[in-house]
Amino acid sequence: MRVLIVDDEAPARDRLKRLLSEMEDCELSGEAGNGEQALQLCQQQHPDVLLLDVRMPGMSGIDVAQHLNALEDPPAVIFTTAYDEYALDAFEAEAIGYLLKPVRKEKLSKALRHAARISSTRIQQLKQKTQSDAPREHICARLGEQLRLIPVAQIRYFIAEQKYITVHHHKGTDLIDESLKDLSIEFDEDFVRIHRNALVAERAIASIERDAEGQYKVLLRDSDVTLPISRRHSAAVLRRLRGKSDD
Amino acid sequence: MTQPSAPAQPAQTSFHLPDFCAGNTTLAVVLIVELVALVLSTARQPFHNNFWVDLASTSLFLLWQGLISAAALCRARPYLLRLPASRAYGAALLLMLLAALIVAEAVYQLGNRFGLGFGVMSDVFPSSHAQFLLRTLAISFIVSCLALRYFHVSTEWRRSVELEAQARIRALQARIRPHFLFNSMNTIASLTRSDPERAEEAVEDLADLFRANLSEARAWIPLKEELEIARIYQRIEQLRLGDRLTVKWEIAELPMRTLVPSLLVQPLLENAVYHGIEPLPEGGTIVIAGGFDGERIELSVSNPLSNNIANLKRGHGIALDNIQQRLELAWPGNARVELQQTDELYRVVLHFPYQERHE
Repeated sequence: MRVLIVDDEAPARDRLKRLLSEMEDCELSGEAGNGEQALQLCQQQHPDVLLLDVRMPGMSGIDVAQHLNALEDPPAVIFTTAYDEYALDAFEAEAIGYLLKPVRKEKLSKALRHAARISSTRIQQLKQKTQSDAPREHICARLGEQLRLIPVAQIRYFIAEQKYITVHHHKGTDLIDESLKDLSIEFDEDFVRIHRNALVAERAIASIERDAEGQYKVLLRDSDVTLPISRRHSAAVLRRLRGKSDD
Repeated sequence: MTQPSAPAQPAQTSFHLPDFCAGNTTLAVVLIVELVALVLSTARQPFHNNFWVDLASTSLFLLWQGLISAAALCRARPYLLRLPASRAYGAALLLMLLAALIVAEAVYQLGNRFGLGFGVMSDVFPSSHAQFLLRTLAISFIVSCLALRYFHVSTEWRRSVELEAQARIRALQARIRPHFLFNSMNTIASLTRSDPERAEEAVEDLADLFRANLSEARAWIPLKEELEIARIYQRIEQLRLGDRLTVKWEIAELPMRTLVPSLLVQPLLENAVYHGIEPLPEGGTIVIAGGFDGERIELSVSNPLSNNIANLKRGHGIALDNIQQRLELAWPGNARVELQQTDELYRVVLHFPYQERHE
């Protein structure tokens, strides 16, 4: 069994490494000090299990687990945490593999034996129950076997197509497998829903126009793209954008 | 742990009477008496010519009763405190009735001997002995009950406010984050094999930190010691965070002998680490700076801001409220907490007076 250790604190990684080295059927595949690095190593090394710290700077452990599910064959995940009241409740309620630091050797070996991958719905539930009402900082897109992280700050708008969502960002477009409804809830602070199939970053909006037929349209900054605002959303969009510019 | 309890304190029940020897209690007695006198004289007759004379004589009569009761209660307090609550209240009531009775009897005798001679005052002094004593007793019984009840409630209220304040200070102090505790334990578990000496140091530091946290809630300590606690805290976090944590100490100007309530700086440093450094993948620098103009001290802790603002709003507030309250308790009206926030920096500044001695 090949294990990837993810923790932002070096002593914490060292200890897990040592515990693993004392176990017979386990092998260290690698170690990562943050979420991005962890995702990268996952694609290169294809570990069987991740020991994943929940509280890390940048991308949290729960975010990493969420991104991992975009992989073809995601590894099993065991969360490690020193103390997060809310996280603990959530883990116990969801019966997801987790270990408390300092980790006991017996518990680690037992957890490794029972490690299983976590389903997307579980992670979504977990996210809601733990601290993470804070939105993600990256969106994860898959390109064949490759994962691509798109910083939310660079995203201009989402368009829902038949089955996928197209993310339009500074460096081009990518497809993601999420629902526009969830995205609009998660990024409610900065993004505004202008149509049943479109979610636009407020900062990307240059102006709003109304054409001869009375149809409102959004003009985007630094491009000649215009997106229609549906009748149903127009009042809310106008109110929101007007309110913001008044401040 | 058992607390040594003084044997002379079975009166822990709920006998809450104030100290009647104290000036403000006497004032309360006088006020109550005057109010009763006013009620009695107003109720007696429709306003007549003698209203003021009536009020004056009633006041005089009642003041004697009230003040003698207060004096008796003042003297009897040590004994009353030893009785169970209900008996103590009974005894206090009896004392007050006795005082009323004595004063009433004295007034009657006085009126009997001299009063009849003054034609004007004839209606001031009572005529029927038994009836007079009975009326006095009835009225003073009712008023005494009300007064006792009033003193009981107000003293109890004041006591509970004080207890609450104390409990709050204690709660404010016992506040090492569990998160920090368990992370430190994990670091130590890791170091025991790889670097036993450092592990040993870390255990010693952790012990010192906890001792400071568990110490007497109202402890005042020299600033030098307070800063030392913060340094101990920094050493432990340094093991865990390594290069990610840098702390700059710009404190040469600070008068190290000045006294501060314990755990003033360390919680600020802990906040700065938790909200400022930990969320940053690359870490950052915390600056602890101090200034002194001969009278007032300015001490600030600043940390870089992560762009994850949602994270920031949450915890800072509680710890800051906490420090604000403790500063207010330490130097009422003479100390404050100031917050400065820019896009990249979060800074907490404490302003408080120089103080070498604590009474």
